Amino acid sequence: MKRITGIVLLMLSFSLLAYANPALTEAQVAGKCMTCHKEKSPGLYQQWFMSQHAMHKVTCIDCHRAQKGDKDGFMHEGGFIATLVTPKDCGACHQKEATEVENSYHAHAGEILESADAYLAHVAGGAPVAITGCESCHGGKVEIDPNSLNRLSTKSWPNSGIGRLNPDGSKGSCNACHTRHSFSVAQARQPEACSKCHLGPDHPQKEIYEESKHGNAYYTHIDDMNIDSDRWVVGVDYFEAPTCATCHMSATASTAVTHDVGERISWTLRPPVSKHKDEWQTKRANMMAVCKTCHSSTFADGHYFQFDALVKLYNEKFAKPAGEIMKIVKERKLMKSPAAFGNKIEWTYWELWHHEGRRARHGAAMMGPDYTWWHGIYDVAQHFYFKMLPEARKFNDPELNAYLDELIKDNPMHAWLTTPTGELKESIHSGKLQRVYEGLFKQQ
Amino acid sequence: MLARYLKFIRGISICQTCRLGVVLTISSFVCLVILELARISGIITNAYIGLVTYLLFPALFVIGLILIPVGWHRVKKKTGKSARELIETRFDSNAVKSGFMGSRLGRTIVLLTIINLVFLISISMRMLHFMDEPEFCGTACHSVMNPEWVTYQQSPHSRVACVQCHVGEGERALIDSKLNGIWQMISVTFDLFERPIPTPVHQLRPARETCEKCHWPEKFYGTRLKTIAHYQNDSASTPLYTTLNLKVDAGSANSRAGIHWHVAKENEVRYSSVDDMREKILWVEVRRSDGSYHRYSSGDKFASENQVSSVRTMDCVDCHNRATHIYENPEQAIDYRIKRGVLDKSLPFLKREALHAITVGYPDKQAAMEGISNHLYGYYQRNHPELVMSKSILIDSAITVLQDIYNRNIHPEMNIGWGTYSSNIGHVGDGGCFSCHNSRMVDENGRAISSDCALCHSILANGHEEPFKFLQPADSADIDFQMHQYLQDEFLKSFDDIKQGDVVELSP
Repeated sequence: MKRITGIVLLMLSFSLLAYANPALTEAQVAGKCMTCHKEKSPGLYQQWFMSQHAMHKVTCIDCHRAQKGDKDGFMHEGGFIATLVTPKDCGACHQKEATEVENSYHAHAGEILESADAYLAHVAGGAPVAITGCESCHGGKVEIDPNSLNRLSTKSWPNSGIGRLNPDGSKGSCNACHTRHSFSVAQARQPEACSKCHLGPDHPQKEIYEESKHGNAYYTHIDDMNIDSDRWVVGVDYFEAPTCATCHMSATASTAVTHDVGERISWTLRPPVSKHKDEWQTKRANMMAVCKTCHSSTFADGHYFQFDALVKLYNEKFAKPAGEIMKIVKERKLMKSPAAFGNKIEWTYWELWHHEGRRARHGAAMMGPDYTWWHGIYDVAQHFYFKMLPEARKFNDPELNAYLDELIKDNPMHAWLTTPTGELKESIHSGKLQRVYEGLFKQQ
Repeated sequence: MLARYLKFIRGISICQTCRLGVVLTISSFVCLVILELARISGIITNAYIGLVTYLLFPALFVIGLILIPVGWHRVKKKTGKSARELIETRFDSNAVKSGFMGSRLGRTIVLLTIINLVFLISISMRMLHFMDEPEFCGTACHSVMNPEWVTYQQSPHSRVACVQCHVGEGERALIDSKLNGIWQMISVTFDLFERPIPTPVHQLRPARETCEKCHWPEKFYGTRLKTIAHYQNDSASTPLYTTLNLKVDAGSANSRAGIHWHVAKENEVRYSSVDDMREKILWVEVRRSDGSYHRYSSGDKFASENQVSSVRTMDCVDCHNRATHIYENPEQAIDYRIKRGVLDKSLPFLKREALHAITVGYPDKQAAMEGISNHLYGYYQRNHPELVMSKSILIDSAITVLQDIYNRNIHPEMNIGWGTYSSNIGHVGDGGCFSCHNSRMVDENGRAISSDCALCHSILANGHEEPFKFLQPADSADIDFQMHQYLQDEFLKSFDDIKQGDVVELSP
């Protein structure tokens, strides 16, 4: 009885101390958040409860605290908070990661409003698809709406696109990969984290991975990946297969983990014509360091030898001529509609590089043979020869015709069109036709 | 004397119609008297017989009485004779001869009429009284009322008669209910009623006239401690507790304003809902005695917003919408019975299997009774065959309890299944309290009605193994340490006196 009285007195004195100041303390706000959200959004609460954040005493208010003057700050049940948690907020603790993300290509994904993709979505699609399609992956500009309950415009929130433009000026959204509110590393390390966006006709990285030996091995040994281990060094903590994260981000015995996804990429495989990236040799060496965890140097060198040749094949045989055709068409003002994408040939060219050309290049980069050929160069070739060229011919413009004639006649890669089959077969058997492409294998 | 009345009866039986009237009147009178004597002496106890005693026989009695003059009138027309002439042919001259107090026949008629009137009045009183008995309401229209009758009998109001809430007091209420009853008779006879009976019942008497006869709103209830046990799906059916200290308090703003603030005299809380269903709230406002008001409107746009026809003032039944006809939810039904000890959780996985047994969709009650038994026996036979022998009594009694739960809550004949009638007490999903207390109900300044958990209750445990988890000292190593500390402080502070005028107001 005495003990109980003691406890009660102790608790009473605590409570009096706590309430000396009528405004809620941060700890009280955190306690209040948990109280209600455990009931009203139990899934969210449980995710957080089981997370590393909870284990390390990071509570609701630590991430959702708003500072005075924050445009998206609002009073909610006694606490001044913001719904949006930006890389700036995460960076308060995860400084290194925030800096890496800030410098990465991912952080700039939201600047798509200037791109042809965004233009196309707005003109051919419409505003709703720009929001629910493009901006859901790329990130939109989060606008403030004073009449909204959480001060965020419903046109721009929810949005967890990876290059989100936040009201605090920061770019990106950590929960694009580290899904709230469990922020599981395991989830971010799985290929499915990336395939929220990296899939489909224009960049089927997920599908290519699934086709590749890497993906095969991963799905076979999914339980041996040690994927929720705190430290996750390939060759040390796991060895059966790489995921997207392994090659592009995660640590090896010799390299540290990075949140700048471009640090190991040597080619730009996105634009109409691929180029080597700045400091591409360093970046390639970074990737080779990962390859060498499981492969010999000669194996890795061989892969790049083949891959580089495919990229150059695409560039030289199709991308550059197609680009030249479009240049002449525009210069000579041959198209009827004044609007970009108002003409058929523009769609043909678009799909050639934006869909099919990327599939071929990505397929070669990540060892997906079907994507390199049947979904890739095969489609590129078919549409180049039997859509692009006929559509260009239809303009019946002397300058354009002269370019096309010359291309077919003088370019040994296209000369097959005017050669009899027997002769071509002969030249394949003799190796003569293959020698036409010899230059593509030469290292720069 | 008897001979005189026999003569009289024979005399008035002038035609077939009159004879039928006489037979009906006399036989129903005799039968009624016999049945009533049998009831008074305790020979008949079945309440159902009241339907015959107080409804059928009085009706036949009156029909008989009407037939007699009808018959006389017809004979008069047919024969062309006057009433006097007819009387003289039917009765001897002594009877017709007028004396000091009229004729003997006249005196007989007056006497019998007085007896009839007294009889009819007293039997009407008995009839009204009988119709006021719950047995009449619960069993007269058996198929329709059975679910309500079953739940009523197991409710906290089982000793309050139906009519005390559903009819109320005064002639107006009585007449309304009888008129309503006629419609109900028609809809039962011609099978016009809906299954299940739609709620809310809009013509229910106002709570001020019914509930508040016993439950005085000014009474200061203080707080109510409620511990709810949730038994888990594990082998031991381990309980996790949620303990709430409900701030019911009084409905008076001069003291603490708790949950019963909503029915305080000083505040009139009015609202309008989609289709008057009292579920999706369009707006809610509080009006004070000085006429000022504060309104919160829903940010949600409802398709049928234009169909709003009425504004309702909140009273008891807006929250206590299932104060009597309480349908349980299956999980709570089982948890409650384990807690009371009628289901023995020493049977492995009892909670999980019991819940499974009663929530399977059975086609009818018969199948349900068999299914529940088969499920439980089958489970223990397959997985714990040793228990089927050693604990067969426990398994049997568990089956009986589960069948009772099913019979109480599920009524296939009225399309009543789990969750057909939801309760507004507390909050399940977005219902109950959360119908108004949510972030979408905002005033013109965009401020929402508070949905602070501690506004209505302190929380002493929320899914914890200890029923008073948060009363124990908080451990800073716990993940939910801040919540623990916050709730402990909140509870202890909730007993501090609130000064007059320091009332927790919803308005900004």
